[in-house]
Amino acid sequence: MPVVTLYFDELERMVGVSREKIIDALPMIGSDIERIEEDHIDVEFFPNRPDLYSVEGVARALRGIFGIEKGFREYITLNAGYTLNVDRSVEKVRPYISGMVIRGIKLTDEVIRSLIELQEDLHWTIGRNRRRVAIGIHDLSVIEFPLKYTTVDENFSFIPLDYSYDMTVREILEYHEKGIEYGFILKDADRYPIILDANNEVLSMPPVINCERTRVTESTTDLFIDVTGMDESVDRALNIIAVMLADRGGTIYTVDIVEGDRVRTTPDLSGREMEVTFTDVYELIGTELGKDDIRDALERMRFDVKMDENRITVRIPPYRADIMHPWDVIEDIAIGYGYDKLTPEYPSVSTVGVSHPWEDFKEALREIMTGLGYLEVLTFTLSNERIQYRWMRRNEKNCVRVMHPISEDHTIIRTDLLPSLLNILSMNRHRALPQRIFEVGEVVEDFRNRLRLCAVTVHSEASFSEIRGVIERVMKEMGVEFDIDNGSDGAFIEGRCGKVMVEGREIGVFGEIHPEVLENFDLVNPVVGFEIEADRILSMKSGDIEMIF
Amino acid sequence: MQLSGLEMRILSEVKKDRWYTPEEAEEETGMSRDAIVRGVYSLREKGLVELDEMERISYELTEEGKEVVENGLPEERVYRFIEEKGEVNIREISKKFSDEVARISLGWLKRKNSIEIRDGKVIPIRYPGTEEIDGLKKVMSGESLNNELFAVLKKRGFIEERKAKELRFRITADVELEKEDLIGDLNPSILLKKSWKGKKFLGYDARIPSFVIYGGKIHPYQRIIKEVRKIFLEMGFTEIKGEYVQTAFWNFDALFQPQDHPARDMQDTFYLREKVEIPRDIALRVGEVHETGGMTGSTGWGGKWDIETAKQLVLRTHTTALTIHYLAMNPEPPVKAFCIDRVYRRESIDATHLPEFDQIEGVVMARNVGFVHLLGTLKEFYMRMGFEVRFRPGFFPYTEPSVEAEVYVPELGWIELGGAGVFRKEVTEPLGIKHRVLAWGLGLGRLAMLKLGLKDLRALYQPDIHWLREVPVCLW
Repeated sequence: MPVVTLYFDELERMVGVSREKIIDALPMIGSDIERIEEDHIDVEFFPNRPDLYSVEGVARALRGIFGIEKGFREYITLNAGYTLNVDRSVEKVRPYISGMVIRGIKLTDEVIRSLIELQEDLHWTIGRNRRRVAIGIHDLSVIEFPLKYTTVDENFSFIPLDYSYDMTVREILEYHEKGIEYGFILKDADRYPIILDANNEVLSMPPVINCERTRVTESTTDLFIDVTGMDESVDRALNIIAVMLADRGGTIYTVDIVEGDRVRTTPDLSGREMEVTFTDVYELIGTELGKDDIRDALERMRFDVKMDENRITVRIPPYRADIMHPWDVIEDIAIGYGYDKLTPEYPSVSTVGVSHPWEDFKEALREIMTGLGYLEVLTFTLSNERIQYRWMRRNEKNCVRVMHPISEDHTIIRTDLLPSLLNILSMNRHRALPQRIFEVGEVVEDFRNRLRLCAVTVHSEASFSEIRGVIERVMKEMGVEFDIDNGSDGAFIEGRCGKVMVEGREIGVFGEIHPEVLENFDLVNPVVGFEIEADRILSMKSGDIEMIF
Repeated sequence: MQLSGLEMRILSEVKKDRWYTPEEAEEETGMSRDAIVRGVYSLREKGLVELDEMERISYELTEEGKEVVENGLPEERVYRFIEEKGEVNIREISKKFSDEVARISLGWLKRKNSIEIRDGKVIPIRYPGTEEIDGLKKVMSGESLNNELFAVLKKRGFIEERKAKELRFRITADVELEKEDLIGDLNPSILLKKSWKGKKFLGYDARIPSFVIYGGKIHPYQRIIKEVRKIFLEMGFTEIKGEYVQTAFWNFDALFQPQDHPARDMQDTFYLREKVEIPRDIALRVGEVHETGGMTGSTGWGGKWDIETAKQLVLRTHTTALTIHYLAMNPEPPVKAFCIDRVYRRESIDATHLPEFDQIEGVVMARNVGFVHLLGTLKEFYMRMGFEVRFRPGFFPYTEPSVEAEVYVPELGWIELGGAGVFRKEVTEPLGIKHRVLAWGLGLGRLAMLKLGLKDLRALYQPDIHWLREVPVCLW
């Protein structure tokens, strides 16, 4: 989520209240304060409010919250006949475009910084790293209308931003810093999007790079802004930039986007209407707010409000990209009213508590094991083939592998607990012996969770008969009929391994850990242990148990 | 002077005027260490033995030290990054690692003459020395090392001091061992023959420490989970469980997370190569809501929704994947369900981030519940956990309104502990869920760290047995 740097002098001037009040109010409109410095504050705003990614947007919202300026802020657009023709060939590669002209803006450092940060944050959020939306800003004075949005082949050339010589599209994608960074968006294209002016001079090759010729400087006062992309989000991004520049004193001129015989005029800052019923408001919030309070809250959130007997009609500010559904408006009523003013109510929904059989069984197993003097441990379920199989002298099982592991230690989900416990012993070599630890934990086989109980003992005289005694006691406490037979498992010494059979089926293994395994885990004292498929025992007793998948 | 059998045995079998550790005496006499310690303390009371309790200082690796041994020095990683790039801006290093790692690593790289810094650019010269690692290995195996290296290890926080008491004793006086018949350890024969009658018992000094006893007990984190579980069961909730492996459909799509949402990136989620079939009719209804809003009155996200993307398996990133699926299976009110279980995020492991951790999840679906009832439920839960709570706006793609809950901790102020909200209609309607759903997903690790006084989240899942033994069962 974008972190926006807000300078106090700017913010205080634009909002008209002190920084202390602003700091208190910021979290209550939906943000996390990252840090507060002498002259500025870094604030993380949520991804549903890209209109707050600039100081202008924050000031606009705060003036509402403080009641200094309530309701819909009107933005006037002029039409001076600016036209942009769209060629059909863009449909396959980057179909959407909108644009506008801003005149008479003073590009102070403050404005430039805010505009560029807003542009970058929009690229990241609504823009999905320019894939869905990309914004180009140009010096209007070097551009001749009407413009054309079309495609070119890879041999087409122009002077890209920050360069002094011609490069072909192919060269830009291969060598230019931005081409390398954003070329992936065009990787499947055979023709490339381009914006040209009336003299066929290039403005930009979206979403990668602008042309050097239209570069904006401190003396620029008139801008052309294009937004290209993959869906209607282009209009939302354009509106957010339009109102930001209008708030800074720029005059907005619309551009007619001509697609065949269809003409769209952008930006459209009139604001959509949405209807919300009072019933919905009362039900969703869970309490009946007064109508005046609702009106006041909405106006503080910068909506225009009309009310009749049953419903509220709001006019949604053109920069609000997040209002998809009447419930979004109702959340704004709650925020405008103030979460802190709502009285929490415990719901009177009468139900009976029901625990899950696995968790109850786990509790019983914990009682058994702690009674036997074992210390419970919790471990990670992420593991790797080395610890789970190679170090254990066991064959690899069919386990869940993650596609892009972040470290060599965490490549699979474990299929056994025993390696996890040996690992814990290994990490605790320097602690006093004897150590007796257990885990009641889950492993994954065939994408399904399985419940296991595992315990290990380490001390200089740990022996087969000790662990045989323990597992016999554990099985008896579980209250099932069982047999113990000789077993074989690479992790244990041949001839010192047993298996536990229930209803003719092997459900557990125990014995004395093989010295080679001990060596792999850096252990220098004998270790004995067991592992039991606890869920099988539970299913034998209680039948199928609901697991959500 | 009265002497017990034990005392007499020590006096007669241990040489006079020589310093012994209990272990040495154990070897020489064959008596148990505990018996020897008990005996020499009582002999000191009688002025026959001189005791020397020395504080012995030893050194051990800190968590950071252990990590260095396992993964190398931080400056090695930074150096490799610099070398790979040829030369780099300092800011780029801060961006790649963290400000702190960059600052510390660059400092050491400079000290080790491994880099040069010119005009804010870092130029690699040679691979940094790693004598710290050799030093740490020596500390682990108890070997000595030179003072200079030792000081570096201490300064870098790789090792820490441990104080242990070491006991030595020396017999100082010749004693005419008068054989007096004191009863030391009772045994069945004494009891059966009643031979204790009329005799004296050797007295023991209760102030003298005996051997340490450790019991079996459940993990302190598990105890906190149990407490949370109890609270929800008492509040009438049904406990649910599900697989760690879930489809992207239930983990994301059913929760109205757009398919191009950054949280769905490979960057943040552990994906599996495999796909499984999902119920087609439900999937298509959900897809329609994503694209156009369907019948929900929403605009939807626009664009195309792809059923294949939804079939992909993931390690669940939140247990909301379970609650939403449970609600879809139980669409009639009332439903109150919770779960406390493992979730996965594709994060590098450090003191405050883990690739897997436990989460508290809960939902209430009923007629006539709304946002204030969500606040009421959370308030009740935290009150039972012993916390005061406050609320401020939050954002989650699947709830509206959304809220962040913060609890008050005296030393730290207001701490963010979880998110909550009312499930959007775009979530509930295509699944046929009949009423509003109050939902929350709360962090548990942070709460446990506060309660257990831990600074490193890893300590919960890679436990130090010493800590497990010493942390009290009762935490107030």
